[in-house]
Amino acid sequence: MKIFKHIQIVPYPSTHRCQHCIHFENDPALIETALKGLTTLSSAYASVRDSDGLCSYLGRYLSAMDLCDHFSQKTIQTSDKNTYDI
Amino acid sequence: MSSSNIQNTENPKTSIWKALLIKEDWWAVWLGLGIVFIAYGFYLAGSSISWIAVAPGKWSTFGDLREQLAQNGSRYIALLLALTVLFTIVTSFIGQKAKNFIRSFLFIFILSAIIYIIGSWDQANKYNLEPPLLALALGLFISNVIGLPKWLDAGFRVEFYIKLGIVLLGATLPFTLIMWGGPIAIFQASIVSIVTFLTIFWTARKLGLDRRFAAVLGTGGAVCGVSASIAVAGAVRARKEDPPIAISLVVLWAIIIIFALPFVARMLHLPTGVAGAWIGTSEFADAAGLAAAQSYGGLAADTHLAITGTADQALASYTLIKVIGRDIWIGIWSFILALISVTIWERTETKSRVQAGQIWWRFPKFVIGFLVASILTTLIVQGYSLEQYNTTVKPALITPITSLRTWAFTFSFLSIGLTTRFKELAGAGLKPFIAFTIGVIVNLILGYFLSVKVFADYWSTIITN
Repeated sequence: MKIFKHIQIVPYPSTHRCQHCIHFENDPALIETALKGLTTLSSAYASVRDSDGLCSYLGRYLSAMDLCDHFSQKTIQTSDKNTYDI
Repeated sequence: MSSSNIQNTENPKTSIWKALLIKEDWWAVWLGLGIVFIAYGFYLAGSSISWIAVAPGKWSTFGDLREQLAQNGSRYIALLLALTVLFTIVTSFIGQKAKNFIRSFLFIFILSAIIYIIGSWDQANKYNLEPPLLALALGLFISNVIGLPKWLDAGFRVEFYIKLGIVLLGATLPFTLIMWGGPIAIFQASIVSIVTFLTIFWTARKLGLDRRFAAVLGTGGAVCGVSASIAVAGAVRARKEDPPIAISLVVLWAIIIIFALPFVARMLHLPTGVAGAWIGTSEFADAAGLAAAQSYGGLAADTHLAITGTADQALASYTLIKVIGRDIWIGIWSFILALISVTIWERTETKSRVQAGQIWWRFPKFVIGFLVASILTTLIVQGYSLEQYNTTVKPALITPITSLRTWAFTFSFLSIGLTTRFKELAGAGLKPFIAFTIGVIVNLILGYFLSVKVFADYWSTIITN
C-alpha cells in the first residue's frame, strides 16, 4: 500500500534532523516560556511532548526528528537534554 | 553551512536511559512506585509509614484543631522535609534550580496544609469548602489579584504532582477493577473523543481555519487538553502561534468545567461513580478533572446532600475513563494525524516521513506506574479476608498511601490556580473560540448521555476495594 512509504518504522540515523539544526530550539524551559499557559495543565517535561520544538526559520512547532531543505548544522554539537533517540 | 561531513555522535542506547531521567512522567513512576515499595516494606516489618504520611483528622472547634496540630506538628515537619528532598532531586534532574524550587515548594506546602486542614473541618461541605476547589480558587486569587514573583514558578509543577498522585492512586485501586472497567471506559471515551474531535475540526474548517490548527484544537478538546494539543501540534507541524491559542481555550474551559460539573452533578444528585465518569468523559486535562472528581466525591460524606456512592468511586470511574479511555491513545492520535498531514494535507515545509515510534515516545509513561502500582497492591492484598483487609492492611498500608496521594493532588490543584494568569494567555480570536466551544457543548451533552443514561448502572456500582 502506498501509505506505508510515508511511515518510518525505525528512526533513520540522520545528522540532518531538526534536533541538530541551528533554527530549532526545544529546551523545555524555553518551550514553557514560549507557549504561554503550558504549565497550567501540562508541561514541557512531559512524555507527550517528546522532543518537539520551535523552528525559527519556518515559524512552526515541529518534531526534533523532522527533516527539511533549510537545515543548517548547529556550530557546536550540543546534545539537548530533552532530546533523545529510541 | 555544508553538512555533508557531519557525523551523528549520539549514542541511542545512552539516550534511552537519558529519557528515564529527564521526563516528569518517568520520575512520577520512580517516586510513586518507590513510595509503594517502602510502604510495603514497613508493612511487612509490622510497621507502617503512617507516621510520616500525616493528614489532618476531622475537627469541629479551634480547640480540637490546636490539639491536633500540637500533637502532630513534628510529623508535618518531617513530611515537608521528606517531600522537599525527594522533589528537589527530581526537579534538579530535569534542570531546575534547587534553591528556587525549595523556596517555592515551602510556599506550596504551607498553603496546601492550610487547605487540607480547612477541608477537614466538619462544616466544610456546608460552606462549599471542598479542598480541590478551595485550592484552585485560592491559587487563582493569588496569581491574578495579588501576583507572585516569577521565580516562585519553579515549584508549581502541576503535571508532576498530578502524575505522582495518579501513580499512588493506582496503589489504592484493585487491578481487577481496571480489567473489569477498562473496556467500557475505552468504549465510552472513544465515542466522545472521536465525535468531539470531528465536531471541532469540522467547525473550525467551516470557519476557514487551517487544517493543522483545527487538528490541534480538536485534540485539545477531545483527548487530553493541553498535552494533546502540543503533542499533535508537533506531529502535524503546526504554526508556532497555534499551540498557545489552543492552550488558552483549554485552560479557560477546563477552569469553568472544574466548577460547573460538580455543581450540576450535585443539582442532579448523581451518584459519585456516575459523576466521575461524566467528568472523566467531558473534562480535558487530568489535573482539572481530578479536582472536579475529588471535589464531588467529597460530597458523598455529607448525608444531607443525598449523594450516593463513595469518594473512591468518583475517583475510580474518573480515572478509568480519563487515563485508560483517553490519555493512553494520544500517541495513536498523533501518529494518525501526522500521517494524514503528510498524505492528504498540503505539506511543503519538511520532507521527513511519519515516525511510527511516536506512538511510544508520546505515550504518557506515568500510566505504566499507575498500572504497576495497582497490580502490586492487588498481589499484596490477595489472600486477606475483607475483615483482615479493613482492620490490618487498609490502616497500615492503603490509608497512608491515600494520604500522600491527597497531598500530591492538593499541590497540583493549587498549582493550577497559581499558574493560571488570565492576562498572560494568548488571545484566541472569535473563530477558534466558536469552534472549540461548540465541541465543548457536544462533549458535555454526549458525556452526560453516556454516563448518566447509557452506562449509569455500570458506573454507579463500580467496586473500588
